[in-house]
Amino acid sequence: MTGVLKSLIRVTSFIGKELRELRRRPGVIATLVLGPLLVMMLFGIGYTGQRTPFLADVVLPPDSGLPTDPAFYQDMAEDRITVAQVGTDREAAVERLRRQEIGLVVVAPTDAEARLRAGEQSVIEVYWNEVDPLDDGLARLAMQIMVGELNQEIIRRAVAEGIQVADAELGQPVELDPNVIAEPTRAEELNVAETSPATIAFFGPAVFALVLQHLAVTLTALSLVRERLSGQMDRYRVSPLNSSELLIGKYVAYAFFSLIISALVAGAMVAWLGVPNLGGWPLMLGIVMLLTFASLGLGILISLVADSERQAVQLSMLVLLASVFFSGFVLPVEDFIPAVRPVAYALPVTHGIATLQEAMLRGEVRSLWMLATLAGIGVALYVIALVRLRRIVHRVD
Amino acid sequence: MQPLPPSLERPAASAPVPDAPPIIEMDGVSRHFGDLVAVHDVSLTVPQGTILGLIGPSGSGKTTIIRMLTGTLGPTAGRLSVLGQEPLKFTRQARERIAYMPQLFSLYPDLTAAENMNFVAALFGVPWWKRSRLIKRWLSVVDLWDARHRPARDLSGGMQRRLELACALVHNPRVLFIDEPTAGIDPLLRQSIWDELRSLRDDGATLLVTTQYVGEAVYCDRVALLAEGELIALQEPEELKRSAFGGELLQINTVNVVDDDSLRGVEGVREVRQAGPRQLIVVTDDAGTAAPRIMDALREAGVEVREISEYQASYDDMFTTLVQRRRTEREDGQPVHPEAVA
Repeated sequence: MTGVLKSLIRVTSFIGKELRELRRRPGVIATLVLGPLLVMMLFGIGYTGQRTPFLADVVLPPDSGLPTDPAFYQDMAEDRITVAQVGTDREAAVERLRRQEIGLVVVAPTDAEARLRAGEQSVIEVYWNEVDPLDDGLARLAMQIMVGELNQEIIRRAVAEGIQVADAELGQPVELDPNVIAEPTRAEELNVAETSPATIAFFGPAVFALVLQHLAVTLTALSLVRERLSGQMDRYRVSPLNSSELLIGKYVAYAFFSLIISALVAGAMVAWLGVPNLGGWPLMLGIVMLLTFASLGLGILISLVADSERQAVQLSMLVLLASVFFSGFVLPVEDFIPAVRPVAYALPVTHGIATLQEAMLRGEVRSLWMLATLAGIGVALYVIALVRLRRIVHRVD
Repeated sequence: MQPLPPSLERPAASAPVPDAPPIIEMDGVSRHFGDLVAVHDVSLTVPQGTILGLIGPSGSGKTTIIRMLTGTLGPTAGRLSVLGQEPLKFTRQARERIAYMPQLFSLYPDLTAAENMNFVAALFGVPWWKRSRLIKRWLSVVDLWDARHRPARDLSGGMQRRLELACALVHNPRVLFIDEPTAGIDPLLRQSIWDELRSLRDDGATLLVTTQYVGEAVYCDRVALLAEGELIALQEPEELKRSAFGGELLQINTVNVVDDDSLRGVEGVREVRQAGPRQLIVVTDDAGTAAPRIMDALREAGVEVREISEYQASYDDMFTTLVQRRRTEREDGQPVHPEAVA
């Protein structure tokens, strides 16, 4: 029997062995694979992507002449605020704000039109009570939109009044539209993207990539560290198995398992959750294979440096934590300062998320450099793992 | 004659191949772990088709020697050779001919007995179409065929040892390093395992087997006694026993009380031990010629002999004697010469 055939026997022996071990440990699968998958699916289904509008009180000075109908102000900020009430008691509104019963207080200027006529700028007072920097930013945005709308309304009213005066003084109608003066331009909106996915459809590929990386990293991290600690490595040392065969065996076994899980998750994502797959299955398979290759390398590297199963799990969770923060899953990678971005780009999932989203939602991968980087990470991790494994297997105490 | 328990009766030996080339060689091998000397200046050879029993208490250096011979541990000093190769530089072909059974259970607890064997066989390149037959054969040998579908974690400690042994044998190795194969196994099964090891030896395999059970020396072709990392004896079991006590032993039971002084100065008698008020153990140069002289001497001393027979000292006694002798020699500053015991 040739050496090549024997090598093949040794490598493929890991497929059956690892799959049987996984099958006998359903608890591990449930905890490590289905757990995160369910959490992320719940997130995808439950997260709307829409912020709750700020509840706002509008305070009008007495005799301001401004409308008292809440619907008037509601229209100004569209879905960013919900006008709770329109009143004249400024202190009461501010007190409600302090008690966090409302999120915004808008105090209209006193005699804004008169000030306008006098060439003076009026002041709209806006108060909010937020410690969340995101909500703080959204409150500012809501405030700016509302102030802008209010300014337009004041201009519209002033222009209408001016036109009436001009008509009377000139004796002929002035051909001016107060709405055009107050709002000379308007936007016609068109999203030219290939598809306009709902929140779940947009996050679907990202969840898929994250679950795939987590699955590959965690399972491989536990696999080898267990063998190192149980004394199995001594059996490997004495046997004709070499480091490459051991490593390739592990890669093949877990890649096989990961691809089965990937097929199930991807199928469910497209068929049940309606996530589009514009790029087609072959492109998705290519990306999944690259992501799996790189993620397995990361898991195996963890298993070769961890001193215990507990440490392997901790390191795997650290990778998951870093992936959630830096991969673009929640926050765009571009939002990080350049010095931190290498951390994001060192994670396989960063490239997996970006390329899967492009492939599935845009129909093609435009960031080809990310595919190349993903492959590069995979190759680099394989080489590092092989060197490390050789040191362990051939270590002579 | 004092009969041996059935489990200790020496089976019909198949003599090692005379002048067979040594498969295992150690020459002045030492291994230190920091200040601890685990193995000190051990030299031995194991010819093809031989069982060498490496016997000694826990911590005597048995496992360290096995690890050095399998290439998982390097020596601090000395030279080792297995199948003509330095263990640290074993070729793949050499590894395919070697088996190693570790002292601790290191198989996969979630796999069944048969699945564990299947995986180990594949590691050694055994093709799948040959595995079923081999798995059945070796699981039957270790009496685990009926438990082949049970996960290894559900097997008892003894069954796990047997499964380890079956896994070590599944690829039909020619050189076997077996660390404590009978630890935790009941006497009946111990004998069946030794029978199988001897059968392997008869087929030409070379075995180095460690054991803490000194009595198992009887199953070996040669015995290397280890104590505190030193080789204190290396001989065939029966010779070793004879050497340990300085001659052939006779046990004398008398009707009336006897004194060991009764036999002082009798020709052919080396040593007399008082085993009881009416019992003496006598070390002789040759039991056959000494027995009539002893009978005469006792008769002259007025002692009536009830029975005189060959005394089968236990291997535990032999081991204890040799270790104590070695300690005495060390205290006296004498060098160790294991072969000098021969």
